[in-house]
Amino acid sequence: MDTLEQFVEKFKNAVDFQDDVHLTGDTNLKTLAEWDSLAALGVIIMFDMEYDKAITGKDLVECQLVSDVYKLVG
Amino acid sequence: MTQATIRNVRYAGMASCVPRRVLSNLNDCPPQIRSARERVVRNIGIETRRICPEWQTFSDLAFDATERLLAELQWNKDEIDALIVITQSPDYLIPATAIILQDRLGLKPGTIAFDINLGCSAYAFGLHVLGAMMASGGIRKALLLVGDKAATVIEPLFSDAGTATALEYDPAAPPMYFDLNSDGSGYRAIMLPAGGHREPIGPQHLVPYKDEDGILRSPAALVLDGPAVLSFSTQRVPPAVRDLLAYADCPIEAVDYFIFHQANRMINDTIRKKLGLPVEKVPSTLHDFGNTSGASIPVTMTARLREVLQSGKHKVLMSGFGIGLSWGSCIVDIDRAVFPVLVES
Repeated sequence: MDTLEQFVEKFKNAVDFQDDVHLTGDTNLKTLAEWDSLAALGVIIMFDMEYDKAITGKDLVECQLVSDVYKLVG
Repeated sequence: MTQATIRNVRYAGMASCVPRRVLSNLNDCPPQIRSARERVVRNIGIETRRICPEWQTFSDLAFDATERLLAELQWNKDEIDALIVITQSPDYLIPATAIILQDRLGLKPGTIAFDINLGCSAYAFGLHVLGAMMASGGIRKALLLVGDKAATVIEPLFSDAGTATALEYDPAAPPMYFDLNSDGSGYRAIMLPAGGHREPIGPQHLVPYKDEDGILRSPAALVLDGPAVLSFSTQRVPPAVRDLLAYADCPIEAVDYFIFHQANRMINDTIRKKLGLPVEKVPSTLHDFGNTSGASIPVTMTARLREVLQSGKHKVLMSGFGIGLSWGSCIVDIDRAVFPVLVES
């Protein structure tokens, strides 16, 4: 399983931030301008292709922190 | 899944028509969302779309595609026995657009004509329904018209197109193979909730509201659950394609081209990667023509493969998926069929 740091790199690619951002596990997703439905699509694909795991939009809506998304890798 | 083989039916030709008016997802979007739109375009892969002016309908595009196709096929209109239209943007709620087009195209009153209500999955379903009607030989020549008028100026996804496909009875034709599926439990993922009998249009649908970007939205607009559609498409389509190949006893390498519904780049890239397909076998028109609903498979053939498909024999796997939820794939051997250049109307 990826470390949090490895996960964060993949997460940043999946969300496709307009400008480089510094993320930690404690970063609140609501503070990220790009945390929108398009980001959800990218993250769902990332989980599917990188972790062979099917997550839903609802799973992501329930996440508050970056670490909550990381926990979905489970 | 339902799997089926259609024999005795030849894919004779196909024409696509798009409106002349080109809309840029970048230059024609409201300034306050321009920056965010760049990211959207990068990810969905759609830069320009075609949009009908107010007065132009899907059936106008399909009409022009049909006229061009019949002229190049040199088919006599009296020979057409059946006309099926698949659209979710009919001229009127009733009667069926196919029947109006029977007369407008100058087809004989003896023509079988009716509509089917499907969207992005339409093409394989249409080929199956019409092919099954023709296989016994009672119907010799027939037309399948597929497409939609779904583009709006604001939404970056949909683009307008109308297409016409010609099939003919031919005992020497190679078989067509089909894999067709429906899952109505996902009907809310893409829907137009108002305007039918469950929720007739009322005054509450006529008052626009401002979204978080200050853009006016209609309460009667299409509702699309992006994550649900993406999950459905990327989970359901690759196994369905594999199932079809197994059913047809066709090695994946034997297929010359895989033509998928043009949904968005994220969905289409994921499906292609899951199936391990090389880019050169999977043509795309997303960048230039966006998501043209049920027309996207024919439009992609016209825009990217017409010269190839006119010469010699090619094995083509087509797969459409979307609203319903519904997904259908087919394998068709296209042998020197007629493919007019893209019609712009």
